[in-house]
Amino acid sequence: MLAAILSATLLGVEGHCVTVEVHVANGLPSFTIVGLPDEVCREARDRVRAAVLSSGYPWPSKKVTVNLAPSSQRKVGSGLDLAIAVGVLVADEFIAADAVADFGFIAELGLDGSLRAVAGTAPMVAALGRVQPVVATASRHEAEIISERRVFVGRTLRDVVEALKGEAAWPTPAADTVPDDVITLPDLCDVRGQPLARQALEVAAAGGHHVLFVGPPGSGKTMLAQRMPGLLPPLTPQVSLVTTMVHSAAGLRLPPGGLVSRAPFRSPHHTSSIVALVGGGTAALRPGEISLAHGGILFLDELGEFSPAVLDGLRQPLEEGVVRIARARASATLPAQFLLVAATNPCPCGGGAPGSCECDDGAKSRYLRRLSGPLLDRFDLRVPVHRPGVDELVAGGLSESSAEVAVRVARARQFAFERNGTLNASIPGALLDALAPLEARAQKLLRTELENDRLTGRGYHRVRRVARTLADLEPEHHDTVLEQHVVMALQFRVRLSPLLRGRAA
Amino acid sequence: MIANDSDYQHALPDEAFAASLAGFDRMTVNRLNVLLAHLSPPHAFAVAAGHEQPRGLVRQLFDIEGLGAAWRQSALRRPPEIVYEQCLSAGVTVLIRGHDGFPLPVLNDPAPAAVLFVRGDLARISGRRVGIIGTRNATSSGRDTAMMLGRDLAALGVHVVSGLARGVDGCAHRGALSVANGAAPLAVVASGLDVVYPREHAALWQQVAEQGALISEGPPGTVPEAYRFPLRNRILAGFSEVLVVVESRSSGGSLITVNEARDRGILVMAVPGALRNRASEGTNALLGDGCPIVLNVDDVLIGLGLDSRRAGGVAYDPRPRPSAADTELLDALNEPRTLDHLVLVTGQSLVDCAMGLARLEADGWVQQVNGWFEATADSALHGFRSPT
Repeated sequence: MLAAILSATLLGVEGHCVTVEVHVANGLPSFTIVGLPDEVCREARDRVRAAVLSSGYPWPSKKVTVNLAPSSQRKVGSGLDLAIAVGVLVADEFIAADAVADFGFIAELGLDGSLRAVAGTAPMVAALGRVQPVVATASRHEAEIISERRVFVGRTLRDVVEALKGEAAWPTPAADTVPDDVITLPDLCDVRGQPLARQALEVAAAGGHHVLFVGPPGSGKTMLAQRMPGLLPPLTPQVSLVTTMVHSAAGLRLPPGGLVSRAPFRSPHHTSSIVALVGGGTAALRPGEISLAHGGILFLDELGEFSPAVLDGLRQPLEEGVVRIARARASATLPAQFLLVAATNPCPCGGGAPGSCECDDGAKSRYLRRLSGPLLDRFDLRVPVHRPGVDELVAGGLSESSAEVAVRVARARQFAFERNGTLNASIPGALLDALAPLEARAQKLLRTELENDRLTGRGYHRVRRVARTLADLEPEHHDTVLEQHVVMALQFRVRLSPLLRGRAA
Repeated sequence: MIANDSDYQHALPDEAFAASLAGFDRMTVNRLNVLLAHLSPPHAFAVAAGHEQPRGLVRQLFDIEGLGAAWRQSALRRPPEIVYEQCLSAGVTVLIRGHDGFPLPVLNDPAPAAVLFVRGDLARISGRRVGIIGTRNATSSGRDTAMMLGRDLAALGVHVVSGLARGVDGCAHRGALSVANGAAPLAVVASGLDVVYPREHAALWQQVAEQGALISEGPPGTVPEAYRFPLRNRILAGFSEVLVVVESRSSGGSLITVNEARDRGILVMAVPGALRNRASEGTNALLGDGCPIVLNVDDVLIGLGLDSRRAGGVAYDPRPRPSAADTELLDALNEPRTLDHLVLVTGQSLVDCAMGLARLEADGWVQQVNGWFEATADSALHGFRSPT
């Protein structure tokens, strides 16, 4: 007998529909899976057989052949387990063929017959389209946010088979009692002093500008970066959905409710490989950290310690907002629109007040050379951070909280969207004169900076974009960019050590 | 080898043989001095190469185990005509002690060099000479001081002698070269004159060679091995009438030069530094030992027995006077501060502080490095800061 069951597999962050064809016929008892299964998928053989037997159903002592169509495409992961098990039972005529016609099955099986969640349920359910998905209980929310039809769940294979045979109703999972959004984000009011860095965070959040914090160890670079998500508005529905897909595909734990609605914050360690950061690796082309940070923040602490190849890998995604991964067998385009927040020491010893550095010129220039060049150019904001003094730590009451800042950020973003249609960081250079006109004195100031060779052409545009954001953030909103905005924008471009300049000369 | 051919010996100048001998294996300053004191250079070469029998005092040299064999090997590898060709093509002149043109300051040195190699023109070094030395790991304040001393001395017609090392040395030369028509700088280096060390000073080497002179004890091709630096330091000390140490750790090459200078009765002066600054430990100790202090260029001139009262200085400060609010900021910059500190100290808003600093920076009152603001002591120094 023959059975064809719908399921799906994952490539990048997209699901692809797979038809599991099962053929049971007379012959020497055997069980083979064909159709380019990967290692995990091939092991389904043992899981499925054990699960069927421990659920108390008969295993046909015949020749069982499973084909995963289309057979030219590589199948990955354990999500096809349930479909294969159901397929075998249908082909063995234990379940009627028309009972499964309108269902797609995505779940892993345990040897005891329990259903388990698999990574990438959301994109795979999306690929199923107009059939009713059957998933593990833990995957319910993930499936529900994307499916056009009712989502059915089962705790065990027995639940599913009984429901399909009409012997029992589909189990209804208990409603979750976990309230939404219980995660408390670190708040900006914990940060003492550091007015410049605080303002930089606000500007970065409002304008979507990439930030580099430069400062000695203990100056609070990491602390500041962690407060960034609290300043960003909730994700828009479209971005939220895409981010959810990426997180699901990577097998990350999704928030209760299934939808990723807050800006994600990813901080990979500096030993991360290029594949971990950019994506790829498994046959399914697992999304990398930059895709997991889609719509949110990618925080790279100790930027100078990342390998130069990894940092170079960031340049194309930073420019295009997507990352294209191509391998011999498959290729995928993954979303990667993130705000890059990075932190670095000014030199290997950590630096500090002028004269306290103990590095020799060679070590210092080697260290800075890693950061120099095109990547450094991508940061609109290069902010010096300093160890706060005793006065700052004990002075005054609480600082402004994230919520207060977030209000200003949201307003500035709204201004920007109404005017540009994008965030200020992505205003094209040609439109700057129209969208960010400069006051005469501001123009003169920028002119002097350019004449003194302290600004490059690219830097000039970046300063203007940052100045635009600064103007948008002020309570009395300015149409033109004033001198004070440009002055502040220039403060956010710390000059890294005279050494680098000497070399360029 | 055709060293026995007497025609051949007369075809090449003495310098060719001296240059070849200077690069022999196991050749030391003393051995070279013994050879050249008793024999003419062609003769000395013939003896070292084993073509002639050593006689008299020179013979004792060859009692040293293996020396004769090593030199015979070296002679084969360093034919004088090729070595001389190398010197000529690198623009290097060879000076032999006792011959014409050997620099007087080191002629009667307690440990004199037997042969010196020069690029540029020693005739440019005709006036008073001050050595400026210091650590390679200098602070930015040390660099600025070295630059300022180099510049001011060159402007006043005093030749700056230094070692072209990283840090203080290089800055002293940069300062001296920054003056139009200033006194020519003299650099004493440890490697061959065609082997630039450190490599990042390639442009600076070239400039010193073009505007002043470069001196080395090693022939072209000599690599900067560690033992050559102390030897270099004694020549550097020999060329200085006054030696100024800008910054030095509690031990290091600068203090070797200081000892060499003291052995020669040369005045050593030091620039004071902050107590906890490692780069000033050595100089502060020198001051404690009674070295005269250098606070500005006049102190160095006094050390030389000169004064600058009649030299034209900067008649007025061309910088526009800062406004009252900006003066408050400038007063707060009595030590390097960050923008954050300034906001806290002055109580002004972030934007006001930034605006004030921008004005002060544009007018040359303040400079910024790595987010730290420092008041510029001297308006003329402002011009040195290379732009971003």
